[in-house]
Amino acid sequence: MKVFLDLFWFFRQEKKAYITGICLLMIVALLELVPPKVIGLMVDRIKNGNVTIGVLGTWLVVLLVVAILLYVLRYFWRVCIFGAAAKLSRQLRNELYTHFTKMPPSFYQRKRIGDLMAHATNDLQAIQQTAGTGVLTLVDSLSLGGFVLATMATTISWKLTLISLLPMPVMAFATSRYGTMVHQRFLKAQEAFSSLNDKVQESVSGIKVIKAFGYEKEDMESFRKKSAEVVKENIAVAKVDALFDPTISLVVGVSFFLAITFGAKMVLTGELTIGELVSFTTYLGLLIWPMLAFGWLFNIVERGRASYDRVRQLLEEQRVKESEQAIETTPSGDITYAVERFTYPNDAAFALQHIQFTLKRGETLGIVGKTGAGKTTLLKLFVREYSEYNGSIRFGEHEISDYALSALRAAIGYVPQDHFLFSATVKENIAFSMPNASDDEVMNAAKLAHIHDDIAQFADEYDTIVGERGVSLSGGQKQRISIARALLLDPEVLLLDDSLSAVDAKTEEQILTSLKEKRKGKTTIITSHRLSAIQHADLIIVLDNGKIIQTGTHETLMKEKGWYRDMYERQQLESLVEQGGGKWNSH
Amino acid sequence: MEQPLTAKEQRQILRRLLSYMKNEKRTVTLAFFLLITATALELVGPYLVKVFIDDYLIPRHLAIRPLIVIATIYIGTIMIKAVVTYFQLVKFQEIALRVIQQLRIDVFTKMHALSMRYFDKTPGGSIVSRVTNDTEAIKEMFVEVLASFVQNGVFVCGIFVAMFFLDVKLAFYCLFLLPVIWWLIQTYRHYSSIFYKDMRERLSELNAKLNESLQGMAIIQVFRQEERLRKEFAKINDLHYRAGVKNMKLDGLLLRPAIDVVYVVAIMVVLSFFGLSALESPVKVGVLYAFVNYLERLFEPINQMMMRLSFYQQAIISGSRLFAFLDLTELAPKAEASSAAIAKGKIEFRNVSFSYDGKQDVLKNISFTVQPGETVALVGHTGSGKSSIVNLLMRFYEFDRGDILIDGISIRDYSNAELRKNIGLVLQDPFLFYGTIRDNIRMYKQLTDEQIVEAARLVQAHEMIEKLPKQYDHLVVERGAAFSSGQRQLIAFARTLACNPKILVLDEATAHIDTETEEAIQQALNNMRKGRTTIAIAHRLSTIQDANQILVLHRGEIVERGTHQQLLAQRGLYYSMYMLQNGQLDVENCV
Repeated sequence: MKVFLDLFWFFRQEKKAYITGICLLMIVALLELVPPKVIGLMVDRIKNGNVTIGVLGTWLVVLLVVAILLYVLRYFWRVCIFGAAAKLSRQLRNELYTHFTKMPPSFYQRKRIGDLMAHATNDLQAIQQTAGTGVLTLVDSLSLGGFVLATMATTISWKLTLISLLPMPVMAFATSRYGTMVHQRFLKAQEAFSSLNDKVQESVSGIKVIKAFGYEKEDMESFRKKSAEVVKENIAVAKVDALFDPTISLVVGVSFFLAITFGAKMVLTGELTIGELVSFTTYLGLLIWPMLAFGWLFNIVERGRASYDRVRQLLEEQRVKESEQAIETTPSGDITYAVERFTYPNDAAFALQHIQFTLKRGETLGIVGKTGAGKTTLLKLFVREYSEYNGSIRFGEHEISDYALSALRAAIGYVPQDHFLFSATVKENIAFSMPNASDDEVMNAAKLAHIHDDIAQFADEYDTIVGERGVSLSGGQKQRISIARALLLDPEVLLLDDSLSAVDAKTEEQILTSLKEKRKGKTTIITSHRLSAIQHADLIIVLDNGKIIQTGTHETLMKEKGWYRDMYERQQLESLVEQGGGKWNSH
Repeated sequence: MEQPLTAKEQRQILRRLLSYMKNEKRTVTLAFFLLITATALELVGPYLVKVFIDDYLIPRHLAIRPLIVIATIYIGTIMIKAVVTYFQLVKFQEIALRVIQQLRIDVFTKMHALSMRYFDKTPGGSIVSRVTNDTEAIKEMFVEVLASFVQNGVFVCGIFVAMFFLDVKLAFYCLFLLPVIWWLIQTYRHYSSIFYKDMRERLSELNAKLNESLQGMAIIQVFRQEERLRKEFAKINDLHYRAGVKNMKLDGLLLRPAIDVVYVVAIMVVLSFFGLSALESPVKVGVLYAFVNYLERLFEPINQMMMRLSFYQQAIISGSRLFAFLDLTELAPKAEASSAAIAKGKIEFRNVSFSYDGKQDVLKNISFTVQPGETVALVGHTGSGKSSIVNLLMRFYEFDRGDILIDGISIRDYSNAELRKNIGLVLQDPFLFYGTIRDNIRMYKQLTDEQIVEAARLVQAHEMIEKLPKQYDHLVVERGAAFSSGQRQLIAFARTLACNPKILVLDEATAHIDTETEEAIQQALNNMRKGRTTIAIAHRLSTIQDANQILVLHRGEIVERGTHQQLLAQRGLYYSMYMLQNGQLDVENCV
């Protein structure tokens, strides 16, 4: 029940809805007492033969009014309580989303997206249930149960009430026992199902092997066994699950039996009228629900508490911090790296060491090296995805850490390696950072990235939906849309992180040429596997294992013996093989 | 996005789902028998009370003996009813679970009948989802909806039968309930299917937005669009909230509160009936009691049925996906049932051309012969058509132009079993299954432990396996992630060799090997090839230098062929590739 305390802030926030809802619920519980009473009174009149049209009419009107009132009030408490509960999940979901947008990359490295999704869906669902159904069950079972018991005991007979309630504890005990048993067996059934799931997963992934060996039949047989296991475990669940209904109806049946037997005796002695006995049994019927509801309540609250704890933990995770005196002006100027050391969180190895270079404003820097050499890391430090390094990175007048994060990033157009597109139109993707850009601006950016001609071929041109749920684009097309997205900003610094890898050599050259033209006076940093992409850079650095092993321009590096020249020649050869070889001419 | 299903399609799907119960005829009959018995017993109780009130209590005729009989019957029926109900519930569950099992087996069997083409273009996750998740949704329907509809439906009918038995006229009046309830159900079904669908769409939109934002968070942050996305998300979140509230209001208007009004009205009808009759002549109070009691029991089943309508929609959607899968026609190439046997293992490709999409040929007029016991190596750049040759030889894909012969007979004329038994394929990515090392080598073959060790020895895997904590009983988990790719490949070699195939097909089997196992793998390959016809696709040219013939493929054509030395001397594509892999310096030494 602690979760109700934890959620108290929300109940207070929505106190109007909750107080109204709870009052309505209680009125409903009171009104529910009326029909059995009316039935009893009518039975007595009918039995004694003193029914008149007037009496009958009056009671029928009372019943009708009660029925209509019940209908209206039941509808409105639902709106109050369930409506408030839905608000809670909306509010928490917004809070979670905002929180997610403020989390640093290290958070996303630690957490799996699937788990985060589960928090925002399943956990919120459970919390909503607690604030809705949980509150309802608590209030309803207490009020209805209490009122019915009180009415039975005071207006009919407390003796008969006690006697007929005797078997009820058996029901409470039995159902809670069954509950634990079902839970244990259900876990086993879940396990069997997930093992079946694994089996299918394995068969699908290993389909080629299975087909190559011709083991289809054997695999089906093994699947049949697993699925029989699932049936077996589920029947074990069903065997306990099926106990609930008969037990309840048996206990209720015995309870009715006691009520009628002892009630009849009291009728004979004149303590009770027949009508009161009929009312009594109808009240007894009303008691079944509160009894069961109490069992559920524990279940709902238990789940709600666990979920709320998980969500709260998530919300307490450290957000990205921003200092108070951060500089709000967008930086521009030379870029100077003097990074002594950088390691990723939870990693022992140095990702970067002794990185020192200065890039004049308007120059182009090319960074090359093997996979894992630290090229991307170098860029990530610049956009401040990570800031726990030893040393300094200066941009213009100041350290990059002195700028407000948004001011720094306003100066940067970043094209990351994994070209991620949103499920939106091409236009919306390109205009991602400038949602109100004009069609012309978008088109110019697309032309600059040499993707305009491709887009013109799409069925809906710039309104074509791309991304996961849209048309599938080639890697090169995705890359160029990502480039257009960054170019639209006409940023002070453009970062291309291996962004031309899936583009053919000719297009690459065209893009680089138009960038050179259009971005005069602006800084560009390019990392690449393919040396042709950085061949014309003003400064080239070669990284290996997080260290700079060579610096220079293409011309100076080609004169040196080393990684750069070896790689350049190798790539020349590779492109030859790709084109089908031809006759080899030694150079 | 899926097309909405028409009412007719929905009925067809339901009928097809129900047809699965045919195999369970006996259990179904038994379950129905139990259900009807339980319902009848349930209805006896109020009748007994009626008899007691009218015949004994009101006339104050208290004969002990008949009263004990009534009491005994009452207690007896509720106890027997409890037992019968229990078995009835279990039986219905059993039927549902068995039906689902059969459905699962059908889907899985279908999966194995599909061609490689289907697997190559369909994400594995969606196939898995067909077999497990969709069938699970249908299970919900069988368990929650069908069983509950049948049980509650029978119960409602039973109550009306009992009421007619008690008083025909009153029961007749009570029939007015049926159209009212029917109307409520239909109205609810109509609106809830609209609202529920809206709700589900909002939910999936919400999840999609969230998922996408989480995936693209780095982009969102670096382009400083957090605020805008937050607003967009809040909008979708709000729409989802509104849809939820709408659903909740609909439930409030048409479910329990509405059913309860009908209940009170029914009570009013009964009271006025008795009240008005009482004006003329005395009536039996016991009958009144029984009617009130029956009506009280009538409405819970109706509530239950209505609450489960949404499951039904979901199950029909899953059913439509499932049947679409079961009706797929992209089957694996069919093999003739023939007794032709592979004796020597001579392979011949004759003018084979092939296209995956029917437009662009990935293989153009390929012809070559591999003599028994010889090795032919296929080399070429990515996309040159090497793997397509393996796909055709393995009968993963059907071909229509040219022919492939083994020992002079077209591979179409061998049974699949004969082909699989004699051709051993080793893939680039050795796939290990969950189980022990021994299981992975044995697979489904009849092999003694000695034979397994022998196979492992022959491929140099024995030593590596012996070093494992539990040797051959070492458990392979997560597809063998704990092993290096070289070690995995050695185990895969042993698995293939244990079949003792006459023909060996190596599909880039040495692409991802590490330096530690390179030597062992090289030795293993030599051992394996001894006495076997081998087709090797090679990424590393160094592994196939001793091949009897090397075919160099480019854009689906064989552009060069010969031995290693002959090809180097040609100074063509092979030469370039060789230089690329070994660096220019070594080349001079090799020629």
